[in-house]
Amino acid sequence: MDDPVADLIARCAAADRAAFRSLYHTTSMKLMGVLLRMLGERAEAEDALQEVYTRVWLRAGRYDPAKGRGMTWLIAVARNLAIDRLRARPQPSGDAEIETVADTAPRAEARLVAQGDARRVSECFETLEPDRAQAVRGAYLDGLSYLQLADRHGVPLNTMRTWLRRSLLKLRECLDQ
Amino acid sequence: MTDLPLSVNDADDMLAAEYVLGVLDLPERAAVEARLKRDPDFAARVVAWETRLEGLNDGYAEAPAPDLLPRIEARLFPTPSPPPARSLPLLRWLSGMAFGAVLVILTLATLGPPSMLPVVVLATADNRLAYEVASMGDSLRITRIAGVPAVAGQVHELWVIAPDAAPVSLGLLEEDPLIVGYPTPPAGWVMAVSIEPEGGSPTGLPTGPVILTALVGG
Repeated sequence: MDDPVADLIARCAAADRAAFRSLYHTTSMKLMGVLLRMLGERAEAEDALQEVYTRVWLRAGRYDPAKGRGMTWLIAVARNLAIDRLRARPQPSGDAEIETVADTAPRAEARLVAQGDARRVSECFETLEPDRAQAVRGAYLDGLSYLQLADRHGVPLNTMRTWLRRSLLKLRECLDQ
Repeated sequence: MTDLPLSVNDADDMLAAEYVLGVLDLPERAAVEARLKRDPDFAARVVAWETRLEGLNDGYAEAPAPDLLPRIEARLFPTPSPPPARSLPLLRWLSGMAFGAVLVILTLATLGPPSMLPVVVLATADNRLAYEVASMGDSLRITRIAGVPAVAGQVHELWVIAPDAAPVSLGLLEEDPLIVGYPTPPAGWVMAVSIEPEGGSPTGLPTGPVILTALVGG
């Protein structure tokens, strides 16, 4: 399968610095989008972006193109870093910032509809109750914790945990068909 | 609502999903990451969830990213690795091609015509600029086979990059072919050409854009 990002990562694993530069130039806007959305502040997102590409260079040898697309791997590296940073922050209570982010989520979801895999995710999300689909999306796109999700949806923590797990089982069933 | 009863299999799969979603707290994440290193089945569950949910990545809009490459590279590649001892002093002199010519003549005089083995061709996708690297045994000859040298005030600089090492300059590519006392790089090494200020990179590492690269034996 044609995956130019995967090729660049493989070349990074072979210590090809020119490939690393190309990888940065072709993917940094997407990863910056991920980090900015999750971390919320430009300065922190830029700092995280440096860290992400440092990890990408050092871990490129662990990427296996047989197991997934290059861009999916890069975004996983970026999301994991952002989530670690978010979880290391003192827990905020439900605040206005989270509400603003929530407003953009349905639009993001609507944009998915036109595309292949994205359409499949989108269809499977439609099998969930709207507030639960929203919780899963919020967790994934904004990096919300169980506590923040419970706050945002006004339900106890254990209820949120059960909601999310039920939704994940349904999604798995739908996506694996 | 009570906790959802799960089979052991599903419990593992839910933990993988929660890790990918990002809802776990730091100690739970650390435990998952430790497990990823020793439990390939569990690692496969995590990858499966990353793939299942990859469609959601379209929900991230692109954002302008500053060019942080210089800072990232300074961090990753802090010091140039020492070049092979015998080639460095030569480099300063080899940019004067008279010396190169002398070297060739000496080689011709003592050994007869050296056999030239192609090592690699460095070319742009449209072949408008191309350099051919050939080996003469213990030296390399680099000939421009398409295009023109860098514009006035700039120069093309040739680099060789061993796996996991910093680039080492092999010299400047100007009007005439470059001959440099350097053995044939092994397969897996990379050769590259960058654009540098006149006189070559002031830092000993590429400072300008890398315009050509080729993998030896690739």
